Amino acid sequence: MPVLEAHAITKTFQEGHETVTVLRGATLALEQGEIVTLEGPSGSGKTTLLSIIGCILTPTSGRLVVEGEEVDIRRRERLPEIRKRSVGFVFQQYNLFPALTAVENVEFALNIKGQRGREARQEAERVLHAVGLGDRMNFLPRELSGGQKQRVALARALAGHPPILLADEPTANLDSEVGGQVLRMFHELAKRENRALLIVTHDPKVRTIADRVLRIANGCLAGEVKP
Amino acid sequence: MVDLARKNLLHDKLRFLITISGVAFAVTLVLVQLGLFFGLLKNATITIEKLGADLWVTSKNTHNVDFAHTFPESRVQRVRSTPGVVRADNLIVTFMDFTLPNGAQDATLVYALENFEAWRFPWRVEEGNITDLRRGNYVFVDNSAVRRFGPFSTGEYREYLGTRLKIIGRTEEARSFTTTPISFMEYGLAQRLMTVGNHDQTTYVLIKLAPGADLEQVRAELQRRLPHNDIYTSAEWAERSRSYWINNTGLGFNMAMTVFLGCLVGIIVVAQTLYTSTMEHLREFGTVKAIGGSNRDIYAILARQALISSVIGFALGIVPTLVIRALVQQADIELLISRPLVITVFIGTIGMCLAASMISFRKVASIDPALVFRN
Repeated sequence: MPVLEAHAITKTFQEGHETVTVLRGATLALEQGEIVTLEGPSGSGKTTLLSIIGCILTPTSGRLVVEGEEVDIRRRERLPEIRKRSVGFVFQQYNLFPALTAVENVEFALNIKGQRGREARQEAERVLHAVGLGDRMNFLPRELSGGQKQRVALARALAGHPPILLADEPTANLDSEVGGQVLRMFHELAKRENRALLIVTHDPKVRTIADRVLRIANGCLAGEVKP
Repeated sequence: MVDLARKNLLHDKLRFLITISGVAFAVTLVLVQLGLFFGLLKNATITIEKLGADLWVTSKNTHNVDFAHTFPESRVQRVRSTPGVVRADNLIVTFMDFTLPNGAQDATLVYALENFEAWRFPWRVEEGNITDLRRGNYVFVDNSAVRRFGPFSTGEYREYLGTRLKIIGRTEEARSFTTTPISFMEYGLAQRLMTVGNHDQTTYVLIKLAPGADLEQVRAELQRRLPHNDIYTSAEWAERSRSYWINNTGLGFNMAMTVFLGCLVGIIVVAQTLYTSTMEHLREFGTVKAIGGSNRDIYAILARQALISSVIGFALGIVPTLVIRALVQQADIELLISRPLVITVFIGTIGMCLAASMISFRKVASIDPALVFRN
């Protein structure tokens, strides 16, 4: 059974008097342990689709099923609970908390998910070890390189065992060598921990770790290409 | 639990310093002003409280203890014969002209009783024996007179309304709201010195009730016997005296304005710095939302920041307040900072900072978590 299903998702925005359609009936499914990349030109609706399946935005129409449970798109107030339970995000800008150390960044995310105290600290340390940052746990983000920051962000996304990982241009701010290392880590962890991973990207190198590649253009999923 | 609120505050030390300085300034301003206010009010009623009478008979419509009006002293007999009264004495409170050694004229506020010991008044005698007042043209002067009249010592003479009186004692802590120094003399002497026509007059009758006497019953009977006087309990009379100064001098309005301005300054500084900080951390708050945090989680972070700022700002505000209190004490001005006042200002500071964080609440409530995807 897919861990995430999106059916005929549409999204329109009101800009002044004009209605802009960003997504036109996008349908996709993610299986556990599957790595899928979503490619498309700027403005094609990639990030909007990512936001909707990550339960940050609600679609204008369509159905979304997360872990077998239908998401009621009319009840926005329930979305944080679904995000907390089922989704881990990795952002292009890392979005780490600059005042918190690496381990605190991960632990804070666990606190938000409801884990507290020693248990949260141990889980944060475990995922930081898993991304190879066991020796950088008490470093502030400004003391870390871009690749290390992205690995902290990955650790934060992995913490709490969400079944779905969504990454937005995770290699965009990294040089190709570091980007390659980060991608290998994404691949290894997604497979080892059996997470579904959807990566929105412009970077063709990301295909190297993908099981499937989806293309989107003008708000329509234009089909799959071979990785 | 990772304390993002505290870490974020301390991450930008300069802004944090500005925030707590704003709070500290407001706290100092409010504490000093209220301390002065309560210090002045204490002066306005300290003699009433220290005399410890159960009831006061005053002339009709007297507004405060310092500005007394006269009435026939014989009325004390009607009081003494009232059931439930165990002791009643005339008390004269009056301003008298006073000639300084250099010939300058000033004023002193005279308290005159026949029997000071019976009322344990004055309550802090630093030098001399108060019972000696009845032996002749003698006077006790409070030490606060040094600032206004210059140094004096026992054995010296001063002219009261043209009559030379010997200073035979000194007291401490006797104050009036008007800051006029207080002198104590025997009742008969005060009467003789008072202007012509006042020789059989008094200004108050102090009453002690018998144990178990019903205060309201006694008061009603006294009011029946003395229809041209007012009768107050000590608490009522003190409150009336305080109210006079608060309402008739603009002191209350001035105090309310100062407290309002202090709070306003505090709220503006805290609100401004918290709001700026919130604006600069919008992406972080967006991230909190994206990883599953609710508005409540973010409110909790902002409220905690406000709380930390208020507690540290309050503690910092106490320090200059204590310094100012010590400094003004040297100028014989009392800054009355009681524990209830400190607790009230502390609670007010927390409330002020939480109120200031409300503006930021509104902003974060509208954060779109999708902003985390923007560059």
